[in-house]
Amino acid sequence: MKNFIFYLAYFISVVLVQFFIGKYINIFSIFPNFIIIAVIYLGMTRGKMEAQTLGFLFGLTWDIFATDVFGGRAVMLTLVGYFTGALKKSFDIDQTTTQIFVVFAASCLYWTGFNLISYHFIENADKFSLFSISLRGFFGFAFTLAITPMMFTILKKVFYLIEDR
Amino acid sequence: MANRNSKRTNLVFVILLLAGAFLVFLQPVVSVRIIKALVYYMIYPSVSAANMVIIKTGDVADNIKSMVYVHQENLKYKQENQQLIDKLRHYDAMSVQYNKLIDLIRVPSVQFTRMVFASISVREPNEWYQWIIISKGKNDGFYDELPLEVLTKDGQLCAVGRIVETYDGSAKAALITNVLSVVPVKIKNKNINCLAEGTNTRTLKITYIPFNADVREGDEVVVSGLSSVFSEETPVGVIRSVSKGQTVDFKTATAEIYFESNISQEVIVLIPDKEIK
Repeated sequence: MKNFIFYLAYFISVVLVQFFIGKYINIFSIFPNFIIIAVIYLGMTRGKMEAQTLGFLFGLTWDIFATDVFGGRAVMLTLVGYFTGALKKSFDIDQTTTQIFVVFAASCLYWTGFNLISYHFIENADKFSLFSISLRGFFGFAFTLAITPMMFTILKKVFYLIEDR
Repeated sequence: MANRNSKRTNLVFVILLLAGAFLVFLQPVVSVRIIKALVYYMIYPSVSAANMVIIKTGDVADNIKSMVYVHQENLKYKQENQQLIDKLRHYDAMSVQYNKLIDLIRVPSVQFTRMVFASISVREPNEWYQWIIISKGKNDGFYDELPLEVLTKDGQLCAVGRIVETYDGSAKAALITNVLSVVPVKIKNKNINCLAEGTNTRTLKITYIPFNADVREGDEVVVSGLSSVFSEETPVGVIRSVSKGQTVDFKTATAEIYFESNISQEVIVLIPDKEIK
């Protein structure tokens, strides 16, 4: 029960940060992908089950807010959660370079997979523009990588506080 | 224990992936889009979200509207189709009437004879080749023993029967195929006199053909000058078979009647002019 409340609170907090508070902490309308960081952190600290389940729920919520292919993010964040969960204890999570590398790799996987799904399921879409990287997308990606160490530190402290109790 | 947990984790992973894939495949379904828009509105109630819901439901409403229009158009076309069918039926009836009038024009005039058209009122199925009742009688100048004929496709009149009972507004006629009927006939162009007896079928039994007479299949049978009802040379039928054996000095043949394939709803009654006076 305690775990359930914890994950529910975690889920709500991340969703609020991503969709409601994110727009207030943007830089030139560019804001980072908090959700992918949250899923990766969960995978690398808690394991596959928690990461994939919350990844699916995060993806589903994001899909509801998005206007493009429905279910695509749920699939990709489940995959991200599963693979990062499989890497639990394989990396030293406290190292900044490791954090950035894992988030970079997971973001690449997420971006490629999601665009592949969109390529197949979006009708009348500009198929060639799906895989092109916009300047805004690039900065968003860089922003995500840049705040990864900070986010990992915050999440580590939050998790530590809750586990300590 | 760890292995069991791993299996469970993998199972959940597969289920979640399948659920995600299911949602991806469901996304073109309009109802799913509407539910998605509604959930979005519930989570984040804003003007743009409400607008999105209206747009999504608007698609459904548009579809329903177009279905209703199509249904109404369909009903209208059905009605028009029925009207056209009625017109076509009317046209067919007119065409039949027109053909009858054409037939009237084609009827050859017979000297000193008045032709009266009478429609067949009754023709009993179980007495099909025996009797008919026609719609005109004494009031139209009919009397017993008048000949009934019909027009063939060649424009000739052929023998049908004779009036046997006459009433004010109708008359009963015995067909030449009636078993009680006997018509003096001859083989056309061969001057062979014989008799055509009815058999209550569509064929006539041609009797009293001299055993040495050259009668063959396809020979035409016409009324001979001995008939007191029909005028001479009125076509009756065509020989279909000639008997091999012979009785005393005669042989018999079977003739197919002409009138059966030409009779429709009307027959022609020939009334000699002197009788009209």
